Amino acid sequence: MSTTLKRVHGYLAEFDSVKDLYHAAEQVRDAGYSRWDVHSPFPIHGMDDAMGNPRSRLPYLVFCGGITGTTVAFVLETITQTNFWSHIGLGFLQKIVETYPTVVQAKPTDIWTLPAFFPVMFELTILFSAFTTLFGLLALIGLPRWNHPLFASRNFPKFSDDGFFVCIEARDPKFSQEGTKSLLEKAGGKNIELVEDEI
Amino acid sequence: MSHHVTFNDLPQGGEKFEPAKGGKLIGALGLFGLLGLVASAWFFFNNTDTFAYSWLFAVFFTFTFVVGGCFWILLHSVSNSGWGVSVRRIWENLANMILALAIFASPLLLPAVQKPLYEWMNHHREAAEHAHHDHVSVKEALHHMAEANPHLHVLVTKFGYMNLNPVGFSWYTRFVAYFLILWGIARYLRGKSLQQDQDGDIKHTVRARQFSSIVLLFYALTVTFAAYDWLVGLDYTWFSTMWGVYIFAGCAWASMALSILVITWLRSLGYLQKVVTDEHYHLMGKLLFAFTVFWAYIAFSQYFLIWYANVTEETRFYLTRNTEGWRGVSIFIVVGHFVGPFLLLLSQPRKKNPVVVSMVCIWILFMHLVDIYWIVIPERGPSLGLGVFAPGAWVQDIAALCAVFGTMGFLYLRGLAKYSLYPWRDPRLIESVNVVN
Repeated sequence: MSTTLKRVHGYLAEFDSVKDLYHAAEQVRDAGYSRWDVHSPFPIHGMDDAMGNPRSRLPYLVFCGGITGTTVAFVLETITQTNFWSHIGLGFLQKIVETYPTVVQAKPTDIWTLPAFFPVMFELTILFSAFTTLFGLLALIGLPRWNHPLFASRNFPKFSDDGFFVCIEARDPKFSQEGTKSLLEKAGGKNIELVEDEI
Repeated sequence: MSHHVTFNDLPQGGEKFEPAKGGKLIGALGLFGLLGLVASAWFFFNNTDTFAYSWLFAVFFTFTFVVGGCFWILLHSVSNSGWGVSVRRIWENLANMILALAIFASPLLLPAVQKPLYEWMNHHREAAEHAHHDHVSVKEALHHMAEANPHLHVLVTKFGYMNLNPVGFSWYTRFVAYFLILWGIARYLRGKSLQQDQDGDIKHTVRARQFSSIVLLFYALTVTFAAYDWLVGLDYTWFSTMWGVYIFAGCAWASMALSILVITWLRSLGYLQKVVTDEHYHLMGKLLFAFTVFWAYIAFSQYFLIWYANVTEETRFYLTRNTEGWRGVSIFIVVGHFVGPFLLLLSQPRKKNPVVVSMVCIWILFMHLVDIYWIVIPERGPSLGLGVFAPGAWVQDIAALCAVFGTMGFLYLRGLAKYSLYPWRDPRLIESVNVVN
């Protein structure tokens, strides 16, 4: 018989309705927990407030991504097709990449041909913003991952059908075997179980 | 979450605005209006040619807000939106200023004012004289004139749209139609809203929605044609299919900024405290942001195609505005009309802060002013043979602006006192008051 080491992931409690889940979330928030989450089959309006979640940092990442896109497009276009960089004393940049000032419709080859580059600047801004949104989101929420400890619970799959759950993780500094369980009981949680993760 | 407001928390009969409370601003607008009117009368009789441009600028600038107000109530009704109920009356009153504006716009019907503004009308009037002599139609006479002056060929081909016939699809009939249509829309929608103030019946909301869905098309045509008749007409050789949308984007943008400012002003006087929350500022700020981008998109699309294609008939508009003194203004518009507001309105906390949003709105009104100025005034110097800038004419522009915008502002703010500041028996008022986004 082999022995497997197990680590406590946290307490999982089930609730009957959105309303119960919402109020339970408020109680867990007020108790000062930080490492916990709620699971429901659909998004619940106002849950962010009930959980006391701070605003996401994602917009700042996206802004930086967008600015990068604009800059990349601007530099790429001006460095290859205009004499702009030589005009501001950075001609060596244009020696590194071969510059072919492109004269179209008698347009100038200095900075004033900028409008011609706007569509690409616009598109790269969108592209970089979109990529930052997607990959930044995945990074922030820790996806993709192979498995999640909560999948060990037999009860948990209901979260994608009609189950409403709160899970308080063991790594939360406030977590205690007795205190956390009684909090969930007091909040009206049912089927409270200690979820364990194999290592 | 903030406290949930119920119907009982709000005063019976809504909130009535007392103009005496906002006397400072109303008085200032009235004073500016009065001084402007006196100065305008002087300029009208002594500098008719240059002042015609000033007047068109001032009237169209004010017109954009009224048209924008009309758009927001239409959109609100068509999209069946609930959030805007608490601020809807502000737009309804704004849209209903159209009748007063018609009085200010009426000088544009005078041939003395049209002569310096619309060169094509002079050619048409000359053609009409020839036609009378030679017993041919005006269009044929115009065709004869075009043989000597090939520039006029474009007027022959545009005759179906650009003509001065007393009936049919002509400049004059359209002029009247614009005001009638906008007045009809504004009056009907506010009428439904006021009936609802009496009985609180949802059927008025439904009727308003059905009505709006139908007239939205006519509204769009009105704005487009008005923009062509009054502004593109300044240079009859010019073409741009983007023009109507361009003007419309500015209208919606500026009138949203104006309504935010009016709401902030009313709140500072103690009104709308419970009805309008930071969430409304956020929602209106988002629309403002959307239209900042939309305007830039349209403005750039118009510029880009004309600049790149470099077709003689199309480039004149930008050639005038992108050379000599106006070039700086053009670049300023790119930065001030788009980049600045874009960056300022990007973050959510700033949009939720009434003080910050209102500051941005003041800037937006200024930029909209610059935009309309940049559209109308560059035509003046070249058309009248006075050089790039008609010297000293800026005083006339300010006089006209004070006269039209000051008087209209005075009338608008006083008019707010007539009805409750929000539709107090709209069934969705509570939904709007407690909106979270």
